[in-house]
Amino acid sequence: MEDRRAVRKKSGERGLALLAALALVLYLVFLVLPLLLSLRSSFTNENPLKASNDFVGLSNYTEMAGDDQLKASLTFTLILAFGVTIAANALGVGFAILLNRTSLSYRVMRTVAFLPQVLSGVIVAFVWETILTQNGLLNTALIKTGILDEPYPWLGSPNAALFSIGLVVTWVMSGFTTVVYLAALQSIPLELHDMASLDGVRGTQRFRKITWPMLAPGTTISVTISLITVLKLYDIITVLTGGGPANSTQSTALYIVKLAFTSDRVGYASAVAMLLLALSAVVALTVTSALRRREISL
Amino acid sequence: MTTIPRDTRDRPAAGGRTALPPSLETPTPPRRRRLGGRLRVLVAAAVTLVFVAPIYLMLVNAFKSQEKILDNPIAPPWPPTLENLTQALTRPDNLIPLGLRNSLIVAVVSVALIVPLGSAFSFYISRRSGRVKAAILVALSAGLMIPPQVTLLPTIKILTWIGLDHTYPGLILANLGGGYLSFAVFVYVGFMRSVPDEIIQAARLDGATGLRIWWQIVMPLVRPATATVVIFLTLWIWNDFLNPLFILGPLQGQTITTGLYLTIGQYSVDYGQLFGIMFLAGVLPVAGYLTVQKQFVAGLTSGATK
Repeated sequence: MEDRRAVRKKSGERGLALLAALALVLYLVFLVLPLLLSLRSSFTNENPLKASNDFVGLSNYTEMAGDDQLKASLTFTLILAFGVTIAANALGVGFAILLNRTSLSYRVMRTVAFLPQVLSGVIVAFVWETILTQNGLLNTALIKTGILDEPYPWLGSPNAALFSIGLVVTWVMSGFTTVVYLAALQSIPLELHDMASLDGVRGTQRFRKITWPMLAPGTTISVTISLITVLKLYDIITVLTGGGPANSTQSTALYIVKLAFTSDRVGYASAVAMLLLALSAVVALTVTSALRRREISL
Repeated sequence: MTTIPRDTRDRPAAGGRTALPPSLETPTPPRRRRLGGRLRVLVAAAVTLVFVAPIYLMLVNAFKSQEKILDNPIAPPWPPTLENLTQALTRPDNLIPLGLRNSLIVAVVSVALIVPLGSAFSFYISRRSGRVKAAILVALSAGLMIPPQVTLLPTIKILTWIGLDHTYPGLILANLGGGYLSFAVFVYVGFMRSVPDEIIQAARLDGATGLRIWWQIVMPLVRPATATVVIFLTLWIWNDFLNPLFILGPLQGQTITTGLYLTIGQYSVDYGQLFGIMFLAGVLPVAGYLTVQKQFVAGLTSGATK
């Protein structure tokens, strides 16, 4: 009796360790191992069409220095990431302040403001495509009302396409930033505002001196996640422009996938992937630590 | 008399000009304040309307014919037509029913496996020493940041080695190990910190084993964490595009996202059809969000403020 209990206890102990070990193995096999394989592949001329793959040293990395498509993709990605981050966070703060009331109508509006986050990027992009495309709803409306004489290429010229993608991604991210800033607003003690108004601090001054500094922890989270999300964004750009026109909206993430799956240049794609990984890490870490320092100094 | 309860109800949780209790506010005529409140609602409503215009377009135009859409895309669908929806549902390629079924299987099975794996792992390491725990958490936080494009191709290679490339089990397996597991562990570890040690010690004295303590005592205590993990992972896996597109490939049937992408090009001029398909593809996640909205926002908020 005692004995059997001990056995059961032992197997129960082992069961938990086993589950935890299984999780660890999955993490190692499907995240750490792929990362190492990608790193290794970045030093080869791997190509699925070739029988053998050779180590080529750093030549993939030196090739990147002269790759104009890569440079264009990095420029596009960084402009998009920082532009969207600034716009979505500004909108999020404004939206959060506007919607920070408890009555029913405001609660309905808050619910609605998060909806873009719930829909998949593919749906979001298709809906916006019907609006922005050459004969789309926006051009039709603008021509009908006489604002435009002929359709404007919202997705058809490099600059307009950058703007349009930025607009759509900002729209999606704003739902998220709004919720984060609403939470941050609600954590500001009411007394602080009471004291401020006794001292006669109000309006923009109150926003600058109290609300904005008190939002700092929310800002850190919201800015970091916006940046990381846009740096690895794939679906919205793929559906909206596919990287066009003339590769002008080809983000680094799209370029990697194209190199690996369309051009079959797996080795080189892996090297570019390592660059994107390093870029994401550097951007995320520097921005986060800068914002954290700001949190403390405020 | 009617204005007083209204004003208190409209009092914000924090922030804004009217954040003060009425006694502290500089005396303002009640009429002006009520007007200000109305103006504020109007402004907020106008901004919100502009913001959701694309979703509104998707909603109303799913129930309108092509001519009506082109005639006036923002008009309400009256009288509504179900033509677009029935056409979308009865397509010969079965895009919607098949896509929804495949997405549902992938999301449900992935989440049903990630939850026990992630929580057992979190429970296990949350009782280890500080340094081991910290190291594991740093490794996992890196997992959250890695762009999926970096690991995609080697993941397919690994799946090929074990004979699971271009299969649903392969896609689910890839979901289990990637950033989703990191997210689950993050949420769980945060919550398990607040489970008192005494409860676990007491259960241990009663002869309960680790497995039982985890399942019967800890899991019920961290139910909000499970809610957060289930809600967000279901949504993310449901909406995932890159993994199903390349791990499943075009021959294995599609999830709802890749199905839309691979088949919809030909419909881009038929707005009625397009909006019908979009509506059917989007209605499930939206309905789910509206049902669990409270936990949804709570999960996001606790994650964002921790």
